[in-house]
Amino acid sequence: MRAVASGTRAWLLQRLTAVYMLVFLVLTLGRCAVDPPASHEAWRNWIGTGGMRVATVLFFVGLVLHAWVGLRDVAMDYVHPLALRVALLALVGAGLAAFAAWMILVLAGL
Amino acid sequence: MRFSIYRFNPERDSRPTMQNFEAVVGPHDRMLLDVLLRLREQDDSLTFRKSCREGICGSDAMNINGRNGLACITPLAGLKEPVSLRPMPGFPVIRDLIVDMTQFFNHYHAVRPYLVNHEPPPERERRQSPAERAKLDGLYECILCGACTGFCPSWWWNPDRFLGPAALLQAMRFIADSRDRATAVRLEFLDDAYRLYRCRTIMNCTEVCPKGLSPSRAIEHIRQRIVKEGL
Repeated sequence: MRAVASGTRAWLLQRLTAVYMLVFLVLTLGRCAVDPPASHEAWRNWIGTGGMRVATVLFFVGLVLHAWVGLRDVAMDYVHPLALRVALLALVGAGLAAFAAWMILVLAGL
Repeated sequence: MRFSIYRFNPERDSRPTMQNFEAVVGPHDRMLLDVLLRLREQDDSLTFRKSCREGICGSDAMNINGRNGLACITPLAGLKEPVSLRPMPGFPVIRDLIVDMTQFFNHYHAVRPYLVNHEPPPERERRQSPAERAKLDGLYECILCGACTGFCPSWWWNPDRFLGPAALLQAMRFIADSRDRATAVRLEFLDDAYRLYRCRTIMNCTEVCPKGLSPSRAIEHIRQRIVKEGL
Protein backbone atom coordinates (compact mmCIF):
# COMPACT_ATOMS: atom_id res chain seq x y z
CA MET A 1 0.00 0.00 0.00
CA ARG A 2 2.85 2.31 0.89
CA ALA A 3 4.51 1.84 -2.50
CA VAL A 4 1.27 2.75 -4.28
CA ALA A 5 0.53 5.74 -2.08
CA SER A 6 4.11 6.96 -1.79
CA GLY A 7 3.99 10.67 -2.37
CA THR A 8 7.55 11.22 -3.49
CA ARG A 9 7.54 8.40 -6.04
CA ALA A 10 4.47 9.77 -7.80
CA TRP A 11 5.66 13.37 -7.51
CA LEU A 12 9.05 12.53 -8.98
CA LEU A 13 7.53 10.40 -11.74
CA GLN A 14 5.27 13.25 -12.78
CA ARG A 15 8.18 15.69 -13.00
CA LEU A 16 10.58 13.34 -14.79
CA THR A 17 7.97 12.42 -17.40
CA ALA A 18 7.19 16.12 -17.86
CA VAL A 19 10.85 16.88 -18.55
CA TYR A 20 11.15 13.97 -20.97
CA MET A 21 7.97 14.96 -22.84
CA LEU A 22 9.12 18.57 -23.06
CA VAL A 23 12.52 17.60 -24.48
CA PHE A 24 10.91 15.13 -26.90
CA LEU A 25 8.38 17.69 -28.12
CA VAL A 26 10.96 20.46 -28.55
CA LEU A 27 13.29 18.19 -30.51
CA THR A 28 10.57 16.59 -32.64
CA LEU A 29 8.73 19.82 -33.43
CA GLY A 30 12.08 21.55 -34.01
CA ARG A 31 13.07 18.86 -36.50
CA CYS A 32 9.66 19.21 -38.22
CA ALA A 33 10.09 23.00 -38.40
CA VAL A 34 13.64 22.87 -39.75
CA ASP A 35 13.35 19.85 -42.02
CA PRO A 36 9.70 18.78 -42.40
CA PRO A 37 9.09 15.28 -43.79
CA ALA A 38 8.18 15.74 -47.45
CA SER A 39 5.55 13.00 -47.54
CA HIS A 40 3.67 10.53 -45.38
CA GLU A 41 6.18 7.91 -46.46
CA ALA A 42 9.08 10.09 -45.28
CA TRP A 43 7.30 10.69 -41.94
CA ARG A 44 6.76 6.94 -41.49
CA ASN A 45 10.41 6.23 -42.21
CA TRP A 46 11.49 8.86 -39.70
CA ILE A 47 9.17 7.85 -36.83
CA GLY A 48 9.52 4.16 -37.56
CA THR A 49 13.32 3.97 -37.33
CA GLY A 50 14.80 2.22 -34.26
CA GLY A 51 15.85 5.08 -31.98
CA MET A 52 12.98 7.36 -32.90
CA ARG A 53 10.45 4.59 -32.46
CA VAL A 54 11.73 3.81 -28.96
CA ALA A 55 11.74 7.53 -28.08
CA THR A 56 8.15 7.88 -29.30
CA VAL A 57 6.99 4.83 -27.34
CA LEU A 58 8.67 6.32 -24.26
CA PHE A 59 6.88 9.61 -24.93
CA PHE A 60 3.47 7.96 -24.86
CA VAL A 61 4.33 5.79 -21.85
CA GLY A 62 5.45 9.00 -20.11
CA LEU A 63 2.25 10.74 -21.15
CA VAL A 64 0.12 7.95 -19.69
CA LEU A 65 2.07 7.87 -16.40
CA HIS A 66 1.99 11.68 -16.16
CA ALA A 67 -1.74 11.74 -16.78
CA TRP A 68 -2.33 8.95 -14.28
CA VAL A 69 -0.58 10.82 -11.45
CA GLY A 70 -2.38 14.06 -12.34
CA LEU A 71 -5.84 12.50 -12.53
CA ARG A 72 -5.20 10.46 -9.40
CA ASP A 73 -4.35 13.72 -7.63
CA VAL A 74 -7.55 15.34 -8.85
CA ALA A 75 -9.55 12.35 -7.59
CA MET A 76 -7.78 12.44 -4.20
CA ASP A 77 -8.54 16.14 -3.87
CA TYR A 78 -12.16 16.22 -4.95
CA VAL A 79 -13.69 12.73 -4.96
CA HIS A 80 -13.98 11.69 -1.33
CA PRO A 81 -16.49 8.78 -1.31
CA LEU A 82 -14.17 5.77 -1.54
CA ALA A 83 -16.35 3.60 -3.81
CA LEU A 84 -16.82 6.46 -6.28
CA ARG A 85 -13.11 7.25 -6.27
CA VAL A 86 -12.10 3.62 -6.83
CA ALA A 87 -14.60 3.33 -9.68
CA LEU A 88 -13.39 6.58 -11.24
CA LEU A 89 -9.72 5.64 -10.95
CA ALA A 90 -10.44 2.17 -12.38
CA LEU A 91 -12.08 3.84 -15.39
CA VAL A 92 -9.19 6.30 -15.80
CA GLY A 93 -6.64 3.48 -15.45
CA ALA A 94 -8.41 1.31 -18.01
CA GLY A 95 -8.73 4.25 -20.41
CA LEU A 96 -5.07 5.18 -20.11
CA ALA A 97 -3.93 1.56 -20.46
CA ALA A 98 -6.05 1.17 -23.60
CA PHE A 99 -4.62 4.40 -24.98
CA ALA A 100 -1.05 3.22 -24.30
CA ALA A 101 -1.70 -0.18 -25.88
CA TRP A 102 -3.23 1.48 -28.95
CA MET A 103 -0.26 3.83 -29.39
CA ILE A 104 2.21 0.97 -29.06
CA LEU A 105 0.26 -1.06 -31.65
CA VAL A 106 0.26 1.91 -34.02
CA LEU A 107 4.00 2.47 -33.58
CA ALA A 108 4.75 -1.26 -33.88
CA GLY A 109 2.88 -1.33 -37.19
CA LEU A 110 4.94 1.45 -38.76
CA MET B 1 -15.78 53.58 8.92
CA ARG B 2 -18.15 50.91 7.62
CA PHE B 3 -17.87 47.19 8.38
CA SER B 4 -19.67 44.06 7.31
CA ILE B 5 -19.02 41.35 9.88
CA TYR B 6 -19.85 37.64 9.90
CA ARG B 7 -22.12 36.81 12.82
CA PHE B 8 -22.97 33.34 13.98
CA ASN B 9 -24.06 32.18 17.40
CA PRO B 10 -24.69 28.43 17.28
CA GLU B 11 -26.92 28.62 20.38
CA ARG B 12 -29.26 31.06 18.67
CA ASP B 13 -28.75 31.13 14.89
CA SER B 14 -29.57 28.44 12.38
CA ARG B 15 -27.30 30.06 9.79
CA PRO B 16 -24.67 32.80 9.70
CA THR B 17 -25.45 36.36 8.60
CA MET B 18 -23.39 39.42 7.72
CA GLN B 19 -24.08 42.40 10.02
CA ASN B 20 -23.31 46.00 9.11
CA PHE B 21 -21.51 48.22 11.60
CA GLU B 22 -20.50 51.86 11.57
CA ALA B 23 -17.48 52.78 13.69
CA VAL B 24 -16.08 56.16 14.66
CA VAL B 25 -12.32 55.84 14.30
CA GLY B 26 -10.44 57.39 17.23
CA PRO B 27 -7.50 59.75 16.71
CA HIS B 28 -5.00 57.11 17.88
CA ASP B 29 -6.56 54.13 16.12
CA ARG B 30 -4.09 52.73 13.60
CA MET B 31 -4.85 49.05 13.26
CA LEU B 32 -7.99 47.08 12.51
CA LEU B 33 -8.03 45.58 16.00
CA ASP B 34 -8.31 49.08 17.54
CA VAL B 35 -11.61 49.60 15.73
CA LEU B 36 -12.82 46.07 16.43
CA LEU B 37 -12.45 46.82 20.13
CA ARG B 38 -14.57 49.96 19.64
CA LEU B 39 -17.19 47.92 17.82
CA ARG B 40 -17.32 45.55 20.78
CA GLU B 41 -18.15 48.51 22.98
CA GLN B 42 -21.15 49.09 20.69
CA ASP B 43 -22.17 45.42 20.67
CA ASP B 44 -20.67 43.30 23.41
CA SER B 45 -21.89 40.11 21.76
CA LEU B 46 -19.36 40.57 18.93
CA THR B 47 -16.85 37.77 19.46
CA PHE B 48 -13.23 37.52 18.36
CA ARG B 49 -9.92 36.42 19.83
CA LYS B 50 -7.10 38.80 20.66
CA SER B 51 -4.27 38.96 23.11
CA CYS B 52 -0.90 40.58 22.45
CA ARG B 53 -2.06 43.33 20.02
CA GLU B 54 1.28 43.25 18.20
CA GLY B 55 1.44 40.27 15.87
CA ILE B 56 3.14 37.87 18.25
CA CYS B 57 0.41 35.65 19.68
CA GLY B 58 -1.48 34.99 16.44
CA SER B 59 -4.87 35.01 18.18
CA ASP B 60 -6.71 37.48 15.97
CA ALA B 61 -6.23 35.82 12.59
CA MET B 62 -9.32 36.37 10.44
CA ASN B 63 -10.37 36.90 6.87
CA ILE B 64 -10.11 40.62 6.11
CA ASN B 65 -11.58 41.78 2.81
CA GLY B 66 -11.04 38.31 1.40
CA ARG B 67 -7.49 37.72 2.67
CA ASN B 68 -6.40 36.05 5.87
CA GLY B 69 -4.41 38.29 8.20
CA LEU B 70 -3.95 39.49 11.75
CA ALA B 71 -6.30 42.30 12.78
CA CYS B 72 -3.70 43.77 15.15
CA ILE B 73 -1.12 44.44 12.45
CA THR B 74 -3.48 45.29 9.59
CA PRO B 75 -3.40 49.09 9.12
CA LEU B 76 -6.76 50.82 8.81
CA ALA B 77 -5.35 53.01 6.09
CA GLY B 78 -5.91 51.37 2.76
CA LEU B 79 -8.74 49.05 3.84
CA LYS B 80 -11.55 49.18 1.31
CA GLU B 81 -15.00 49.90 2.81
CA PRO B 82 -17.16 48.31 3.88
CA VAL B 83 -14.46 46.21 5.50
CA SER B 84 -15.59 42.60 5.25
CA LEU B 85 -14.58 40.48 8.24
CA ARG B 86 -15.16 36.75 8.26
CA PRO B 87 -13.71 33.80 10.17
CA MET B 88 -10.81 32.07 8.43
CA PRO B 89 -12.14 29.76 5.71
CA GLY B 90 -11.77 26.01 6.12
CA PHE B 91 -12.07 26.04 9.91
CA PRO B 92 -15.28 25.13 11.78
CA VAL B 93 -16.77 28.30 13.29
CA ILE B 94 -17.29 28.38 17.04
CA ARG B 95 -18.86 31.83 17.12
CA ASP B 96 -18.60 34.97 14.97
CA LEU B 97 -14.89 35.34 14.07
CA ILE B 98 -13.66 32.56 16.36
CA VAL B 99 -12.74 29.27 14.73
CA ASP B 100 -12.07 25.81 16.09
CA MET B 101 -8.34 25.12 15.64
CA THR B 102 -8.33 21.58 17.11
CA GLN B 103 -7.53 19.93 13.78
CA PHE B 104 -4.85 22.52 13.05
CA PHE B 105 -3.06 21.79 16.32
CA ASN B 106 -3.49 18.03 15.86
CA HIS B 107 -1.51 18.35 12.63
CA TYR B 108 1.02 20.54 14.39
CA HIS B 109 1.55 17.94 17.12
CA ALA B 110 1.78 15.17 14.50
CA VAL B 111 5.05 16.58 13.12
CA ARG B 112 6.63 16.30 16.59
CA PRO B 113 7.47 20.00 16.92
CA TYR B 114 10.35 19.53 19.34
CA LEU B 115 13.96 18.40 19.22
CA VAL B 116 14.43 14.63 19.24
CA ASN B 117 17.92 13.75 20.39
CA HIS B 118 18.61 10.79 22.65
CA GLU B 119 22.37 11.29 22.74
CA PRO B 120 23.72 12.01 26.24
CA PRO B 121 23.25 15.74 26.85
CA PRO B 122 26.44 17.77 27.06
CA GLU B 123 27.34 19.48 30.31
CA ARG B 124 25.93 22.85 29.29
CA GLU B 125 23.97 22.88 26.03
CA ARG B 126 23.76 21.44 22.52
CA ARG B 127 25.68 23.98 20.52
CA GLN B 128 25.15 25.21 16.97
CA SER B 129 27.51 27.10 14.70
CA PRO B 130 26.20 30.44 13.39
CA ALA B 131 25.75 28.78 9.98
CA GLU B 132 23.69 25.95 11.47
CA ARG B 133 21.61 28.44 13.41
CA ALA B 134 21.04 30.51 10.27
CA LYS B 135 19.29 27.54 8.66
CA LEU B 136 16.40 28.07 11.09
CA ASP B 137 15.76 31.61 9.88
CA GLY B 138 12.46 31.85 8.06
CA LEU B 139 11.20 28.78 9.93
CA TYR B 140 11.30 29.43 13.67
CA GLU B 141 9.37 32.73 13.47
CA CYS B 142 6.00 31.04 12.81
CA ILE B 143 3.41 32.09 15.43
CA LEU B 144 0.84 29.42 14.50
CA CYS B 145 -1.91 31.92 13.73
CA GLY B 146 -3.27 29.59 11.03
CA ALA B 147 -3.60 32.32 8.38
CA CYS B 148 -1.64 30.20 5.86
CA THR B 149 -3.45 26.93 6.52
CA GLY B 150 -6.85 28.62 6.49
CA PHE B 151 -6.08 30.10 3.07
CA CYS B 152 -4.84 26.87 1.50
CA PRO B 153 -7.29 25.25 -0.96
CA SER B 154 -5.52 21.90 -0.59
CA TRP B 155 -6.31 22.03 3.13
CA TRP B 156 -9.93 22.96 2.45
CA TRP B 157 -10.22 19.79 0.31
CA ASN B 158 -8.51 17.42 2.78
CA PRO B 159 -8.32 19.10 6.20
CA ASP B 160 -8.21 15.78 8.04
CA ARG B 161 -5.28 14.27 6.10
CA PHE B 162 -3.19 17.06 4.56
CA LEU B 163 -1.02 18.57 7.29
CA GLY B 164 -1.27 22.07 5.87
CA PRO B 165 1.41 24.74 5.38
CA ALA B 166 1.86 25.75 9.03
CA ALA B 167 2.51 22.20 10.28
CA LEU B 168 4.81 21.50 7.32
CA LEU B 169 6.79 24.67 7.97
CA GLN B 170 7.17 23.52 11.57
CA ALA B 171 8.26 20.09 10.36
CA MET B 172 10.98 21.70 8.23
CA ARG B 173 12.05 23.81 11.20
CA PHE B 174 13.08 20.62 13.04
CA ILE B 175 14.42 18.82 9.95
CA ALA B 176 16.71 21.82 9.43
CA ASP B 177 17.90 21.83 13.05
CA SER B 178 21.44 20.45 13.39
CA ARG B 179 20.69 19.29 16.95
CA ASP B 180 17.82 17.04 15.90
CA ARG B 181 18.51 13.32 15.29
CA ALA B 182 15.13 12.21 13.92
CA THR B 183 15.39 13.52 10.36
CA ALA B 184 14.96 10.08 8.75
CA VAL B 185 11.88 9.31 10.85
CA ARG B 186 10.44 12.76 10.16
CA LEU B 187 10.96 12.44 6.39
CA GLU B 188 9.47 8.95 6.34
CA PHE B 189 6.39 10.25 8.15
CA LEU B 190 6.01 13.10 5.68
CA ASP B 191 6.56 11.01 2.55
CA ASP B 192 2.86 10.44 2.07
CA ALA B 193 0.45 11.26 -0.73
CA TYR B 194 -1.78 13.11 1.73
CA ARG B 195 0.33 14.53 4.55
CA LEU B 196 2.76 16.39 2.26
CA TYR B 197 1.84 15.81 -1.34
CA ARG B 198 -1.62 17.36 -1.36
CA CYS B 199 0.30 20.65 -1.66
CA ARG B 200 -0.18 21.90 -5.22
CA THR B 201 2.19 24.85 -4.76
CA ILE B 202 -0.71 27.29 -4.98
CA MET B 203 1.34 29.55 -2.67
CA ASN B 204 -1.62 31.24 -0.95
CA CYS B 205 0.21 30.41 2.28
CA THR B 206 3.24 32.49 1.37
CA GLU B 207 0.99 35.24 0.02
CA VAL B 208 -0.86 35.77 3.32
CA CYS B 209 1.67 34.87 6.03
CA PRO B 210 1.59 37.90 8.36
CA LYS B 211 5.17 37.21 9.42
CA GLY B 212 6.44 37.20 5.84
CA LEU B 213 7.44 33.52 5.94
CA SER B 214 7.28 31.09 3.03
CA PRO B 215 5.68 27.74 3.90
CA SER B 216 5.79 26.99 0.15
CA ARG B 217 9.57 27.11 0.19
CA ALA B 218 9.69 24.97 3.34
CA ILE B 219 7.49 22.36 1.64
CA GLU B 220 9.77 22.43 -1.41
CA HIS B 221 12.78 21.89 0.85
CA ILE B 222 11.09 18.92 2.51
CA ARG B 223 10.47 17.37 -0.91
CA GLN B 224 14.09 17.96 -1.90
CA ARG B 225 15.31 16.38 1.33
CA ILE B 226 13.13 13.30 0.81
CA VAL B 227 14.44 12.89 -2.75
CA LYS B 228 18.03 13.45 -1.61
CA GLU B 229 17.77 11.00 1.29
CA GLY B 230 16.07 8.48 -1.01
CA LEU B 231 18.94 8.65 -3.49
